[in-house]
Amino acid sequence: MSDDITRRDALTASAGFTAMLGLGFWTEAAAADSAGTVLVTGASRGIGLEFVKQYAAKGYTVIATARDPAKAADLQALSKANPNIRLERLDVLDHASIDALAAKLKGTPIDILVNNAGIGGGGANQIFGKINYAVFDDVMKTNVEGPLKISEAFIEHVAASKQKKIMMVSSSQGSVASVRSPSLYFYRASKSALNMVTVNMALAVKDRGVIVGMVAPGATDTDFMVEVRGRIPLGKPEERTAGMIAQIDAFTMEKTGKFYEWNGEQIPW
Amino acid sequence: MSEQATRNSTTRRTVLQGAAALALASGPGTASAADSPGTVLITGASRGIGLEFAKRYAEDGWQVIATARDPKKAEALQALAKAHKNLRLETLDVTDIKAIDALAAKLKDVPIDVLLNNAGISGGAEKQKIGSIDYSVFDDVMHTNVLGPIKMAEAFTPHVAASKQKKIVSISSTEGSLTLISPRPDVNSIFYRASKSALNMSMINMAKALKDKGIIVTMQSPGLVSTDFVGSLRLPIMITPQQSVAMTMPIIARLTMEDTGKYYRHTGEVAPW
Ligand SMILES: NC(=O)c1ccc[n+]([C@@H]2O[C@H](COP(=O)([O-])OP(=O)(O)OC[C@H]3O[C@@H](n4cnc5c(N)ncnc54)[C@H](OP(=O)(O)O)[C@@H]3O)[C@@H](O)[C@H]2O)c1
Ligand SMILES: NC(=O)c1ccc[n+]([C@@H]2O[C@H](COP(=O)([O-])OP(=O)(O)OC[C@H]3O[C@@H](n4cnc5c(N)ncnc54)[C@H](OP(=O)(O)O)[C@@H]3O)[C@@H](O)[C@H]2O)c1
Repeated sequence: MSDDITRRDALTASAGFTAMLGLGFWTEAAAADSAGTVLVTGASRGIGLEFVKQYAAKGYTVIATARDPAKAADLQALSKANPNIRLERLDVLDHASIDALAAKLKGTPIDILVNNAGIGGGGANQIFGKINYAVFDDVMKTNVEGPLKISEAFIEHVAASKQKKIMMVSSSQGSVASVRSPSLYFYRASKSALNMVTVNMALAVKDRGVIVGMVAPGATDTDFMVEVRGRIPLGKPEERTAGMIAQIDAFTMEKTGKFYEWNGEQIPW
Repeated sequence: MSEQATRNSTTRRTVLQGAAALALASGPGTASAADSPGTVLITGASRGIGLEFAKRYAEDGWQVIATARDPKKAEALQALAKAHKNLRLETLDVTDIKAIDALAAKLKDVPIDVLLNNAGISGGAEKQKIGSIDYSVFDDVMHTNVLGPIKMAEAFTPHVAASKQKKIVSISSTEGSLTLISPRPDVNSIFYRASKSALNMSMINMAKALKDKGIIVTMQSPGLVSTDFVGSLRLPIMITPQQSVAMTMPIIARLTMEDTGKYYRHTGEVAPW
């Protein structure tokens, strides 16, 4: 983390230096080029890590958050190689830490808030007849309460930005209309609930010009899918995340409150 | 917490109410064995819609297992139990998994024709305003409205499977319908809405899981009903618990396996997801 701060300070200093040199034209062009700032939750692994990699490569400043950044070796390596990536500790279950990070980042506009952190709860815990109710709270709090709290806490940062987007990584498993066979009771319910939360959030912040939407990766080869790896076709995280980023790019106020698969298909409720 | 489409369809509602009344009048003739009295277990029977269900089923000659968190304090329910020998009281908090298992064990060998997951809470609209959300009510809302009904269905599946009618009905709300909510301008009770979407998803899952056992799983939206639930709110589109239950019972009576996984309004229309 101390590495980080030094780098950040260096960046701020160099921006100030550029301004001092009176390179107004140049910095303006750079600002227009600099795609903006993205905050990603659950950036330690899987799709979250891929969001960080791809947004950074596109020239965004990325605030990559994780429960335990020190243990996230891939994320550490990525941030060492890319000065646009800043690491922050954030557990989406910990409301005090969410508020603290929002306060720490006060005055930093966030163009795209990506609520990616999520858990499945384990397939074996959610089989009819032997449902393990002990995982209910973790699933609901991580997948529903967390994204809502984070969106609420960072609304000023997003509203102060250019793009003004709050995006939820949901799942087609949350589509009630698409259920074919029983599984993942809590996970599915959590994503349906997340969709309802998102729709309401979209309505609530519309007049502030903030766009709120849902994207989904489809079945993707991350740790999330260890239980089914080899049994169902899984997409590559690189491809699926690129698809979701394209959908996020294409989100306009006309689409606020809507739900898109990585390939652009609209997912039914 | 207004129930969207009813707002501008008073006429349609009146017509449908007529139709429901007609269905009621023609009763057993049309619905045959499916609605002959059986056993119903109702959660949250102390007040409001649950109490009215208990009363109407008891009057119709059903064996009613009326459950409540604290039956001793539920005076109206006590009175009902005194008036009807076919109504028995049981203590049940639907957020208490052990208590659900204990009641299921106590009622072992009692076939339950209709399991009515009615208990539900809103969590208080004033606590769910975006910008000042009180997250301390999140768990209560999710436990009561989602975890409780899932656990009830799971624990009482043997009882329902052993019955004649084999129905699990959960009282949801059109407030849980993403299709109806998304075009609306009002944001209200975000946890409550999310809990009912989650309930719908859970019951769809349940419908798929229980189809092989011949169990019909559906959701019912009761309309906007003048109970404690809506506080002092009174709107012209509101109906009484008596009206809501009178319209809902014939719908439950007519359910067949064709209906499993459906989400009905009190009017008999299918609600969109
Ligand atoms: N993979 C798929 O097929 C698929 C399909 C549809 C939707 N999704 C959704 O995509 C999102 C990302 O999934 P993934 O495939 O990348 O899963 P993953 O590889 O299991 O990664 C999950 C990420 O969420 C983080 N996380 C979990 N709980 C957290 C908490 N309380 N606070 C902060 N971070 C937390 C994890 O951090 P730690 O490293 O600290 O555990 C990890 O970074 C999830 O919302 C998931 O529901 C995935
Ligand atoms: N009224 C409406 O306009 C409306 C509209 C749509 C859907 N609904 C749904 O209809 C259902 C019944 O609502 P209502 O209008 O009759 O509400 P109500 O008058 O507030 O009654 C709620 C009932 O649920 C019980 N309950 C709450 N938490 C419980 C728990 N943990 N365990 C057991 N019972 C519990 C209450 O028992 P106590 O007496 O112990 O508190 C009470 O009997 C709810 O699921 C609600 O979401 C109502």
